[in-house]
Order: sequence, then C-alpha cells, then structure tokens
Amino acid sequence: MKFDSVIIGGGLSGLLCGLRLARAGRHCAIISSGQSALHFSSGSLDLLGALPDGSVVENPVEAVKALSEQAPEHPYSKIGVERFGALADEAAALLSEAGGKVEGTSLQNHYRLTPMGTFKPTWLTMDGYVRSDNRVLAWKHVALFNAEGFLDFYPQFIADELRKTGIECELHTFNMAALETVRRNPTEMRSSNIARIFDCDENLDELARIIKAEMGDCEAVLLPALLGIERTDGVARLAEKTGRPVAIVATLPPSVNGIRMQRALHHAFEQAGGTYFLGDTAVGCERQGDKITALYTVNHGNIPFVADDYVLATGSYFSRGLVAEHDCIKEPLFGLDVEAAAERSGWYDRNFFEKQAFEGFGIKTDKTLHGLCGGERIANLYVVGAGLAGFNPLAEGCGAGVSMLTALHAADCILNKQ
Amino acid sequence: MNKQFDVIIIGGGATGAGVARDCALRGIKALLLERLDIATGATGRNHGLLHSGARYAVTDRESAEECIRENMTLRRIASHCVEETDGLFITLPEDDLGFQSKFVDACRAAGIRADVIDPKEALRLEPSANPQLIGAVRVPDGSIDPFRLTAANIIDAKAHGAEVLTYHEVLELLREQDRIVGVRVIDRKSGEKAEYYAQIVVNAGGIWGHDIAKKAGVTINMLPAKGSLLIFGHRVNNIVLNRCRKPADADILVPGDTISLIGTTSSKVPFEEVDNMYVTADEVDLLLREGMKLAPSLEHTRILRAYAGVRPLVASDDDPSGRSVSRGIVVLDHAKRDGLEGFITITGGKLMTYRLMGEWTTDLICKKLNINAACVTATEKLPGSRDDERKVGRKLHAVPAMQRESSIYRHGDMAERVAAETSAERSLVCECEEVSAGEVGYAINALDVHNLVDLRRRTRVGMGTCQGELCACRAAGIMARKGKYCTRRAKADLTDFLNERWKGMSPVAWGDTLRESEFTKWIYEGVCGLTNKKEE
Repeated sequence: MKFDSVIIGGGLSGLLCGLRLARAGRHCAIISSGQSALHFSSGSLDLLGALPDGSVVENPVEAVKALSEQAPEHPYSKIGVERFGALADEAAALLSEAGGKVEGTSLQNHYRLTPMGTFKPTWLTMDGYVRSDNRVLAWKHVALFNAEGFLDFYPQFIADELRKTGIECELHTFNMAALETVRRNPTEMRSSNIARIFDCDENLDELARIIKAEMGDCEAVLLPALLGIERTDGVARLAEKTGRPVAIVATLPPSVNGIRMQRALHHAFEQAGGTYFLGDTAVGCERQGDKITALYTVNHGNIPFVADDYVLATGSYFSRGLVAEHDCIKEPLFGLDVEAAAERSGWYDRNFFEKQAFEGFGIKTDKTLHGLCGGERIANLYVVGAGLAGFNPLAEGCGAGVSMLTALHAADCILNKQ
Repeated sequence: MNKQFDVIIIGGGATGAGVARDCALRGIKALLLERLDIATGATGRNHGLLHSGARYAVTDRESAEECIRENMTLRRIASHCVEETDGLFITLPEDDLGFQSKFVDACRAAGIRADVIDPKEALRLEPSANPQLIGAVRVPDGSIDPFRLTAANIIDAKAHGAEVLTYHEVLELLREQDRIVGVRVIDRKSGEKAEYYAQIVVNAGGIWGHDIAKKAGVTINMLPAKGSLLIFGHRVNNIVLNRCRKPADADILVPGDTISLIGTTSSKVPFEEVDNMYVTADEVDLLLREGMKLAPSLEHTRILRAYAGVRPLVASDDDPSGRSVSRGIVVLDHAKRDGLEGFITITGGKLMTYRLMGEWTTDLICKKLNINAACVTATEKLPGSRDDERKVGRKLHAVPAMQRESSIYRHGDMAERVAAETSAERSLVCECEEVSAGEVGYAINALDVHNLVDLRRRTRVGMGTCQGELCACRAAGIMARKGKYCTRRAKADLTDFLNERWKGMSPVAWGDTLRESEFTKWIYEGVCGLTNKKEE
C-alpha cells in the first residue's frame, strides 16, 4: 500500500497532523490501535500552565521565550519562539473547525472547573464546560445535578469549593426509567453509557423537566459531562428547555466530550481524503540507509505500508509509544534513541504528586522533529506528541499543546520539503 | 466510655486480636488499643502463608509442630480466611536432592504429612512450577488472609464484650510503685487524650513492643528484621511453591485470592526505619531472580507492588549480644523477669501461632487474675466461618454471580450483611475486585473504617491490577456522602491513598505498572487537579 505519508497513532497529535497533510493534498494513512488520550479528556486542552522552574504562566506566548531558555530540549523550544504563537492559533482554529467548538486564546490562559471543584489554568475549553477568566464563577447561586447511582462524579467536592468563594450551591440527584435500564448491570453506570440515553430527545427532555421542577431560583445549572455522545446540542437544548444557563463539568473517564472530539477529527480526516486504519497496530519496519522504506502492521501481515514520510504519534507509556522494561526505556517500533535515566532509581520521586522523572523521558529528535537512531537522523521519520522527550505534560500543563503544535510543525516540515 | 478494664491489650495485629478474643471468650473485660488500623504491622505484611510447618521441620522441630497443630486448627475455625491449596517443596538441579529424604523424615517426625511425588506428577498438579525440577514433596501448606483473620478475631472479641479503639496510640504506661495500672493514650484523629486502667496491660506491639516496653521501664532486646515481598498481578500458581532446601531468601511463592506473592528477603534494619519501609531496587531484583526459579513465568508476569514488613525477632534474655535469636513464641511475665507487676509482653512467634500466643497469654492473665476458665479458641469458629458457603450463596441468589462469589470469598458467612439490595448499591466501585457500592457502605458503617486505606483492607477496593485508578475517587465520594469525613479531608485522604499505593508501585514501576501509574497521574493530577499541597 502506497501513501505519501503514513501516521502511526490516531490520537489528537496523529489526527491533527494527518488532517493538515490531507488538506494540503497529501495522500495519508493513519494507523490507530484504538483509544487515545482524548478518551479521558478534562474537556480542556492545555498549552502552557507553568515553566519547568515552577513559575506560573498567564500568557503562554509571552512565556515561551523563558521556557526555551530553561529547557532548550523542550518540544516548544524546537518549534521555536517565533513560530509558537502562530502555530498555536492555527492549531486552535483547526481543532475548533474539525473537532468541535473550543474557546480560548494563546495570549491568556483561562480556567476550567475540575471535578474536585478547583480552578485550573488552561488554553482551550470545549463548548458547554464551565470556564472562568478569573477563578470565579459568573453565577452567585447554582444547582448541581447528578444521576442517581453515578459514582464517577461527586458534586459535593465542587459545591464545597464553590461555597468557599461565596457561591450558593444546591445538590440534586435525578432518576428516570431509562437510567434504571443502565443500572441493571453493575458495571454499566459509566459516563459514556449514561450519555447514550441522552442521545434520545425524549430522555433529554425528561431531564429538562426534572431540572426545571427542582432547580428553584438558581442562576445556573451544573451537570456532569454526559449529555449525549452523538449529539452536540445537549447543553444548549437543556438550557433552552429549562430557561437557565447550563454548563457541564468533567467526570472520571471515559470523557464523553473527548470521545466526541476524537470521532469528529477522525471524520474530518476521512472527509479530507485520508484513510484511517482503526484497530491495527504497527509492529515492524524496513530501513535503508537513513530512510524508512516500509512499515508492517498486525492486520496487514506482509503487505507493507510504503510512504515518502512516516510520522510516529504513538504517545507515551500508556499507549505503548514508550515501553519501560525493568532496566531501560525503549521506543518499540523503530528502536529510536530515547532520553532516560539509566538507573531505575532515577525514574521516580517517592511522592506521587511530585514531578516524576519518567514523565520527562521520551524520544530524542532534532529541531525538525526527525527521529534519531544511534545518534543518526532518520530523514523521513518525524516524531510528534506525548512520546517526545523534554517536557512534563502535567507539571508544565502543556500535554495537549505539545501534541497539537508538534503535529502541525511536523506536517509543515513535510510539506515544506518539496 | 468506661475507663476500667481487666486487661488492656496494646497492638491490633493478629496477636493482639487473638488475645482480645481469647480474653473476651473467657469473660475477661478487655480493651484493645491500636495506634493505626488493625493488621497494619507485620500481620498485614507477610506471605499470608498457612504454614504446614514443613519449612521449619529440619531446623526447628518445635516451631514445625506448633505450625502443623495451628494449621489444622485454623482450617477449622477460620475456614473463610483459609485456602486449602497444599504446598510443594521442589528440588531444582542446583539443589542437593539428598536434602529431600532428610526433609521428609523431619516432617513426618513433626507430624506433618509429606508425600514424595514424581516430578512429572508435580508439574501436572502445578503447571507453573519450574519444569526442570528433579524432586517434589507435597505438604499441607495453604494460604491465609491475615487481614480477614485479624478482623474476624476483632469482630468476635467485640461481640463478646471487648472494646476496640483503633487510631489510639499509647503515650505512657501508668505506674504505681512496682505495678503498671493503666495507660495514657491519644486519639490520633481528634487529638484528645485519655487514661484507661486495668489490672494487667499486655504488650502485643510486634516490633513496636520494643518501645512500649521501654515506656514501662523494662528492656526487651528486639532486632528489627525487614522482609520484602512482591505481589504479582494474577494468580500464577494454585499450590504454594517452596524450595526443598534450608530456608533462604525469596523461596516461597504463595497464591492468595486473585494474586500470587513471592518473598521474602531478610535484612536487619535500624529502629528508625521500621515505620517507613521502602523496598529497594536490589531487593526487587533478588526476589524476581529467585522467584523465577520457582515459577519461570514470573519473568513475564506483571508485578503489582512491592512491600516490606518487620519481624519482631527477640534476642534471648541470657544473651546480651543479641546474636542468639529465638523464632519461637516469647511470653514475658515482667513480674517474674523484672519485678514489674501487671505487665506482660507477648512477642516472637508468627502469624500461624497467633491463636496459641493468645491462649498462652490469656492463660497467664487468668492465673494472675485468679480466673478459672478454659481456652475455647481452638474449637469455637470465627465469625465468617460458621456457615456453609454454599448455603450463604443460595441466600444471595439475587446478587450478580461474580459479585456474590467475591463477596463470599471476602466475608464468608458475613456476606449476607454486605449484600447489596438495590441496583444502585450493586453498582461496582471497584471493577478489578468486584466490590459493590453496598459492600463499601457496609464496611464504612460497620467495620471501623476511617480512611481509604482502611477500606482497602476490608474490601480490597484498589487492590486489583489498576491499583486504585478510578475506584479510589468513587470510594472517597461514598465515604464523604456517608458522613465519614468532609470533602476537604476526603481529598487529603485520596492524596494519601494514592501516595501509599505509589510507595508500593514505584519500586516495580516498569511495564504495565508504569503505564497504570502514568494514567492514574493523568486522571488525578491532570483531570481532577489533585495535588499534595496542603490546603491553606
């Protein structure tokens, strides 16, 4: 099978890269083994929340210069201070148009409301989620509703935090016949299963009636993010039917809205002419000199994927883009050079919530994100997303941003070659 | 609460719980004090091996005889804590096959059934065993759940009038002339202090008994010996695997519940470290290397976590150098030994002999209190083990099959009390271990749960392959909803729980264990925004 570009990994990074290439007229394939980090999204995407030294970032574009001084090997440093702002805006525009509406700017972080009731800085927030520019809610009196028996959302956490800021909160649970069906199997009370019942107008309207009957004189209604997995108008429709502003808050995984975004990007990629191989896993390659010449997958056996360029977007440990063995950390597909501490004792901090060294390990690249093998650059292999070395997605609040910006950067490098 | 008791027992491990139950069954009014949760010391940090005694047969006949007697007793009185798996002592090419006959003779002399079986037969019985084995002996080993055992003793002690205070730490032993008359304690949750009085105070503090004795002004020469173990992500073997040679490091692989355990290492540690034991990379490597000799598939089996306990080894009184260590049961009557009335120390021994230790201690208490009552703990079954499990299963026909089985496995005939009645209560909190919202609710209401780690011990929430990925947050929510604590403390508890898990996972965090840790961090630190920064 011959393509212009083959992308391994169909998460946020792989999809955005593929979308950019396909829309530029390249014949692209994405090989995806299944789920991605979008499946446990918070509903927001971070660009840069803190520098490696711990100082808080308000304006990512302004802060990236300091970042590149502190961390010259950071993926953003490789993209370059000059290119960073423009690339971030292009990524946001592309995502909003192809993956579903998001709001935010690279010039000023805003805040999302976490399931623990705290505010966390972020870059882009999906439509319908609670967001704030100043860590304060726009309302003084809210009603929080949860589905009865749904354990992956605990509104008391949120209510207690909001009350500290002087907001009046009331807690309600809702129940309906359709929920009873979900509850029949003890493992089914998960966000995506509940969301499915709200794809049906009748159930969503019943929820609206329940809320309307119980919400009293609150200014707004907050709900867990489970208002339909297919539909995008769940929040808007509830707001219309109840006559109050409605906003959603992230649940424990799976993330209904993240899944929806993943599906939308997948669809947009195919609309642009790309081919998405779902449920397939790349397992081997052929290399001649400084070029990859063929790629093999589980499903296609000895039929190779052949392309001018390859993009590795397989993520970090969880998605097996990186594999930790008891004495080393590897990139399993191409055997690329990996940045990691040699001794296992250097991988961890004893405090779970401290920066963990293993989070910063990853695949080494040059400035144009080419993968390296034995220190030698592979001319037609680019590495994007969470598998890259040199950044800490949680401590620096930059996971989604690195995935999106490196995806576009690599796509541009490929397109500019010709 | 009444402040006067016949006996105060310090220490909520298996030994303390055994003493409390024995006292309660003989009509002695007992108070048990534990500074943390029950079974948090060495009791909860060992193999969970129901020793047949075979391991000691060659080197320590007395211990071997005690073990086999208690082994048979525990199968009867604590059937819901015991799995009758049997054990194999295998000889590998690197071992001396000549040891086998000596071993078998010693077992039989101690009253332990020991059947030499053909290596092929051994592999058929236990396919995970090293196929290179050249000899095998089958003995009546088994596995025992130490927490369940301790909890059942506590439940029965309370049912017979004993009082139990967890999270109560003894600050001071109250002394009048040459007699201990009580204790001064602090409630570690509220910070309140109180004094309790009794005619006899029993020191059952395990390695911490060293300091308790010191508070009474007497010296016991104890040696903390650290033993590290690894827990594997699934049940590799169904029969306990041992090496047929003199006892050494990492030569026992025990199946228990849904997992298997390899242990232990053995090293002396300073007293300062006993409250905070970390397993080192070297210990992990040694355990894995030796474990693979017993069952080669361990090389590719996921390790869930590593942990370490501290054995309270006691130096013989007549050897001040501390070199001559007794592994047997040590009952010290401090009136005789030190001229201090009203104070007894029970130590040494092992999980297997907890009941016997309780019996000896209570015999001594009875003698001192002039009470004439016989010990019945060898015949009176523990709660959870009194009813036929099949009968319990039939009563719970409405509960989904997997949940029913897990629940009966964990709670025995007490599963009925746990059973979820409504669909909302049947909703699973922990998918790995099939723990329902109803079972969590029961544990919170009835089993002295104060935090998520307590809850884990009682229900196995967070003990499966995901190690508390999502269930921790769900359980914290239920705890807060049930009014166990406010949301601020719920979050702090969640942080502590995840850190406690990480302590066990970090030494073995590669492969899937690292994948899981990365995911957990994304969820809690990323999505939920949880940090370990104390709230202002």
